[in-house]
Amino acid sequence: MEKGGGGKGGGVGGGGKTSLKSIPASLGGKDDNSAKSKRGRKVQFNTEGLSEGKFTFSSKSDGKFETTYGGLTKGGKGDKVANGAKVSVVKEALPLELRVEQELPKNAKCLMDCEAAHILEGIQEQMALLSADPTIKIPVSFDKGLLYAKTHSHFTNPQAVKGLFQSLSEHGVTDGEICVIANICPETVEEAYAIVPSLKRMVDERICELFQAKRSRLNDLLKEVLIQLAKFKST
Amino acid sequence: MFFHIVLERNMQLHPRHFGRNLREHIISKLMKDVEGTCSGRHGFVVAITSVENIGKGLIRDGTGFVTFPVKYQCVVFRPFKGEILEAVVSMVNKMGFFAEAGPVQIFVSNHLIPDDMEFQSGDMPNYTTSDGSVKIQKDSEVRLKIIGTRVDATEIDKNISQSRPKWDPAGSHPSRFFCIGTIKDDFLGVINDPTTI
Repeated sequence: MEKGGGGKGGGVGGGGKTSLKSIPASLGGKDDNSAKSKRGRKVQFNTEGLSEGKFTFSSKSDGKFETTYGGLTKGGKGDKVANGAKVSVVKEALPLELRVEQELPKNAKCLMDCEAAHILEGIQEQMALLSADPTIKIPVSFDKGLLYAKTHSHFTNPQAVKGLFQSLSEHGVTDGEICVIANICPETVEEAYAIVPSLKRMVDERICELFQAKRSRLNDLLKEVLIQLAKFKST
Repeated sequence: MFFHIVLERNMQLHPRHFGRNLREHIISKLMKDVEGTCSGRHGFVVAITSVENIGKGLIRDGTGFVTFPVKYQCVVFRPFKGEILEAVVSMVNKMGFFAEAGPVQIFVSNHLIPDDMEFQSGDMPNYTTSDGSVKIQKDSEVRLKIIGTRVDATEIDKNISQSRPKWDPAGSHPSRFFCIGTIKDDFLGVINDPTTI
């Protein structure tokens, strides 16, 4: 308390980004403690609200945050306002982007749902032989995974589809992004950009670095690919 | 999303299995131990596709058990933050709805459902738009975006994990992946409904 009092005299003007500086030094009691604790934590307004552990989201943003199910979110730099606490600076949160490569080992190969269905069906045939052994149980996740892959496999020829995306991967589109596009099978270029926001960023970079021609090239490529994809899609 | 990856694991084998069928025993034990499990790093191991290599066995001091390092390829299913996928609704309540995509369960909170959709309770609880054109109920297919993931050890296994033997690497005990999703963005929501954006 005493330390806080001493520090406060010097530090009231310091908290530039919050409304704390309006608290006069003469205020004591509860305000003192809360002010001290706020300053000690480098004034992250978000953490106060979040310490209640409420599972709330504001409707404005779909920002990047690390969530734990039903739990707290740690206040980060580009954070959104959790429950209306006053923050003078709110950075525009980036749309959530897929970051496959960072989280999996380097040798991970992304599979489209149709490829996965192909592989799992092959294994299912072998499983039928193995199930003669009563100690081996076919796990639930295998059945669910197989069912999911089969219902979502739109293409009968995964190889041809992979070839289709060759031109896109030369443009710098990652494997993970290609798989998402193939799985969802968007109908328009706008939908593809909505599904894979990092494509848009790539396009924006191209505008800065190169000429307009490059941007329209990626657009055209995407359009072509989507038309071909629609043709491949089995009814 | 599905992935095909190479994983490594140390299999401990009891001496009674040594003999002609050693390799088969190792592989069947591997399948029993690994298939169907889930780890935070790799997601669900859906199936083992092949065994690349079984290394030389090391005898454990003090016991007759032998440890074999096994390298194998497998198909895993791991959801990612930012991924968009299509799931089937399994349960609807006033807090939101649960959907399943393969072995993974995803929860979409009512805060992340578009504001024009209201919860309707009843025999078949559902979320419906004000004009009744779009409905989300059990067995509906929805396209959603994953915004958060978490691995959770199931209740029973929490006790086991405390007495986990040292040779069992952390990622292999049975657990489940939970995800949080949203349908509030563009091009998300019920599939096969022409009125959805």
